[in-house]
Amino acid sequence: MPFVFAEATTPQGKPLLRIHVRDEVTITDAEALGARIEDDGPNHRWRILSVVEKGTEYSPAARRYFPNLQPKYGAIAVAVTSPIVRAAINMMMRLTGQAPNLRLFSSEAEALAWLDQLEI
Amino acid sequence: MSLTITEARINGLLNTLVTAASGDYDVRVALEEHEDPLLDVELGINYLLDELIERRTQNEAQEEELLTRARQLARQQDELVQALSTPVIAVWPGVLALPLVGRIDDARAAVITATLLERIAAERASHVILDLTGVAAIADATMPALLRMIRAIGLLGARCLLTGIRAEVAPQIVALGGNDLHVRALARLSDALALVLADKGALDQPHR
Repeated sequence: MPFVFAEATTPQGKPLLRIHVRDEVTITDAEALGARIEDDGPNHRWRILSVVEKGTEYSPAARRYFPNLQPKYGAIAVAVTSPIVRAAINMMMRLTGQAPNLRLFSSEAEALAWLDQLEI
Repeated sequence: MSLTITEARINGLLNTLVTAASGDYDVRVALEEHEDPLLDVELGINYLLDELIERRTQNEAQEEELLTRARQLARQQDELVQALSTPVIAVWPGVLALPLVGRIDDARAAVITATLLERIAAERASHVILDLTGVAAIADATMPALLRMIRAIGLLGARCLLTGIRAEVAPQIVALGGNDLHVRALARLSDALALVLADKGALDQPHR
C-alpha cells in the first residue's frame, strides 16, 4: 500500500494523521485519503504529517485529484528528503495554485514543529 | 541565481523534447536526485508528457465513439431510405401498390424486388400495381431491373399493372425494351385499383 495511515498526536498533543507514503500513489490511494478527510470523515480538518519515501511516484490521475482535497485538511506538512519527490510535490502544488497550509520539510521533526504552532 | 548544468542533462532534455515532438509521448526525461531548479523543469516535462498521453487516449476514445455513432446513424439512414424507397402498400386484400420514386439502379431494384416478393408471398397477393408517377426518367439500367421485377412477380402468380407512366417516359420505356413487359398499363393508380377490384368482383368493371 503506497499510503499507510496512522492516527497519532503531535508533540503538543494535537490530533494528527500520519501518512507513510511509498511506491506509486494511484487515484485509489488518493481517494482513500480523501475519504478520511471528507466533511464526515474521521480526520476532517486534521493536521496531516506525510512522510514520503525516496522513489515515490504519483500517477497522473492522483495528481489531478489532490487539489480537490485542499479545503478538507487543516494543514499538511510533508517530510521529504528526495529532490525528485520534492520536485513532484512542488509541481502538484503549482498545479493546485495556492496551498497555504501545505509545506515541505526535510525532516519529520521540523514538520511536526510547524504543525504544532499552527492555529487551525 | 546561477546554475551549473551538465551538457548531458541539457542533451537529455532536448532529446526528450525532439522525440515527443515527433509524436512519441512515451519518452521521459531520466531524473536524477539533483538539488536544483532544473529538476522541476525535467519533472514538469515528464508530467506534461503524461498529460499528452492521457489526452491522446481520451481523443482516441472520443473518436471511436464518434465513428461508432456515425456508423449507427448511417445504418439507421440506410434502413430509413430503404423503407421509404420501398413503400409497399396493401390497398386491398391481395392487392399491393408500390409507388416508385427517383432513379432505380440495379442495387435498388434488387432491394425493391426482394421486399416486394416477400410481401407478395406473405399476403398471397394476386395483383401488384407499380406506380411510376414519381419516375421522371428511365435510366439505361432501370428498364432491365424493372423487367426482372415484373417477371419475378409473375413467377409468384401475381398479376402486375403499371400506372403513372409519364408522356416523356413512355418512349424511353419502348426504346429500352419495355415492349417485352406484357403488362397492363393504366393512367392512374386509381384506374388500376378499380380494374383489379372489378376483376375480383368487388366493383363493376369501369373499363377493360
